[in-house]
Amino acid sequence: MSTVHHDPATLPADDNVNAYTFCVELKGSQWFLQKGKMIAYYGTIDFNGIGHGRLDRLVRTSFHSPLHASDWVVAEGSGKMLLADRAFDVNSYDLEDGNLTIRSGNLLAFQPSLALKQSIVPGFLTLIGTGKFVAASNGPVVFVEPPIRVDPQALVGWADCPSPCHHYDHGYMTGLLGGLRAMTGLGGASGEEHQFEFVGAGTVLLQSSEALMAEQSVGAPPQQAGVPGGGTSGASGGRSGVPGLPGQLGDLQRRFGL
Amino acid sequence: MAFQEINSKMVQATVAPGQRLFSQRGAMLAYRGEVSFTPNLRGGQGGVMSMIGRRVANEDTPLMTVEGSGTVFFGHGGHHVQVINLSGDTLYVEADRLLAFEGTLEQNTVFLGSQGGVMGMVRGQVSGQGLFTTSLKGHGSVAVMAHGGVFEVPITPQRPVRVDPQAYVAHHGDVRNKLSTALGWRDMVGRGSGEAFQLELSGSGTVFVQASEEKL
Repeated sequence: MSTVHHDPATLPADDNVNAYTFCVELKGSQWFLQKGKMIAYYGTIDFNGIGHGRLDRLVRTSFHSPLHASDWVVAEGSGKMLLADRAFDVNSYDLEDGNLTIRSGNLLAFQPSLALKQSIVPGFLTLIGTGKFVAASNGPVVFVEPPIRVDPQALVGWADCPSPCHHYDHGYMTGLLGGLRAMTGLGGASGEEHQFEFVGAGTVLLQSSEALMAEQSVGAPPQQAGVPGGGTSGASGGRSGVPGLPGQLGDLQRRFGL
Repeated sequence: MAFQEINSKMVQATVAPGQRLFSQRGAMLAYRGEVSFTPNLRGGQGGVMSMIGRRVANEDTPLMTVEGSGTVFFGHGGHHVQVINLSGDTLYVEADRLLAFEGTLEQNTVFLGSQGGVMGMVRGQVSGQGLFTTSLKGHGSVAVMAHGGVFEVPITPQRPVRVDPQAYVAHHGDVRNKLSTALGWRDMVGRGSGEAFQLELSGSGTVFVQASEEKL
C-alpha cells in the first residue's frame, strides 16, 4: 500500500478520503461540527462557538435546544475540511425529508439544512429534514430492517421507524434450575438478557462491535411532568424506595417475580 | 455454511431448530426471529469432566448456547473476524479467540506438551498459548477473532511456514509445529532483532496469521 498524497484539488468534496476520514467542501456555506473533530483544513474557514453574538440565531433555527448547543461549533468559509474521530470508521448519510435518530456520541457533523433535536430516548439525538451528516462508528455500519432485536451497545441509530422498546430474554432463568441460577449467580449470565426491539418499517443502524463511543451530552430535558427523563414523572416510576437487600437481584428479581 | 461475513468485523449466523451454535458471551449484536441465549456452565461441549479440564487448563472462555430459529449477528470488541470452514479436520485455536462455532464441531482441550514434549510447552509459553489450547474437530464453521485482518498461509510439505508467535492465530490440517530459536549473544545483551522466536509449521494445512503482534 502506498501513501496517497492529496492536495486541495484532489481531495474529494463531501466524501470519504478513506474509511476513517471525511472531507467537507465549504463554499461560503456552513457546517456544524462536534467540538474537536476537525483534524485539518485548506482555505479560509472560521470556527465559532454556537450561541454567541451573530450565531445566536442558529440555536433557534437548527438546534432547538440551548442546552447542548455549546458542544457544537460552526465552520464557515470556503475550503476543504477533514473530519475524523479517534480512528473510528466515519461515514456520511443523506437524509431526504426524513428523520434519523442517532447516539449522541456518534454524530460528528451535519449540514445546517438539518434540524438537530433531542430524542425522547435519553442519550440520542434526532436529525430532521434534508441534508448530509457525518457519523462515526466502531467498525463499519450495517443497515438492517425491522423486525430485529439489537444489543444496546451495538445500536448506532435508526431511521423512519418508531422508537424501540425493551426486550428481555430470561428464559433460562425460569424454572427450578433457572431460579437457582438467578438466586445464586452460578453459571453466570449470557450477557444477552436485554435487547432493544425494533418493529415497523424503517432502517436500523448497527455497528460491528459492542464498544461504545463516548457519550456526548445532549442536555437534560426540561423538568416537567410527562417528559421521560424529566425527573418529575407522576408516580415515581421506580422501585418504591425499598433498598436492595444483599443476595437479591433487585430489579431483576422483581421482573422475574421471584 | 452457518456463518456469513457481513464485513470485516461482523458475521451473520443462521440458527435453525436442532442446530446449536456456541458463541462467546456478550458477542451477539442483534438477532431476528426467536432465538435464545443460554449461558453455558460448562464452557462448551462435553460433560463435567470436560468443564474441569477446561478450567484447569485456563481454556474456559465463557460461552453461551444459541438455539432457536432466526438470524444472529455476532461481533466483539472491534476485532476482525475470520470464518474458517472445517471439513473433517481439526482446528487448533486459543479459546478466547473463538467468537462462535457450530455445535456440530467437537471441542477439546489439548495439552501442548503432547506435541513435542518440553519444547511444546516452551512453545506454548512463547506464543502466549499457555500450556493448553483448544481444538475443534469435525464438519462445520468457526468464527475466529483476531487483532487486525487475518490472512491464510498455506503449508505444503516442501514449504514450511515460519510465523511470529504473537501473530499466530490458528492452524488446521496435518501440521507439525516447532519453535525455532535464533538466539545469539546479541539477544543476551539486549541487542537482539526481536525476532528470536519463530513458530515453524510444517506438513500440509493452513495457518492463519493476523496483521498485528497484539494478543487479544
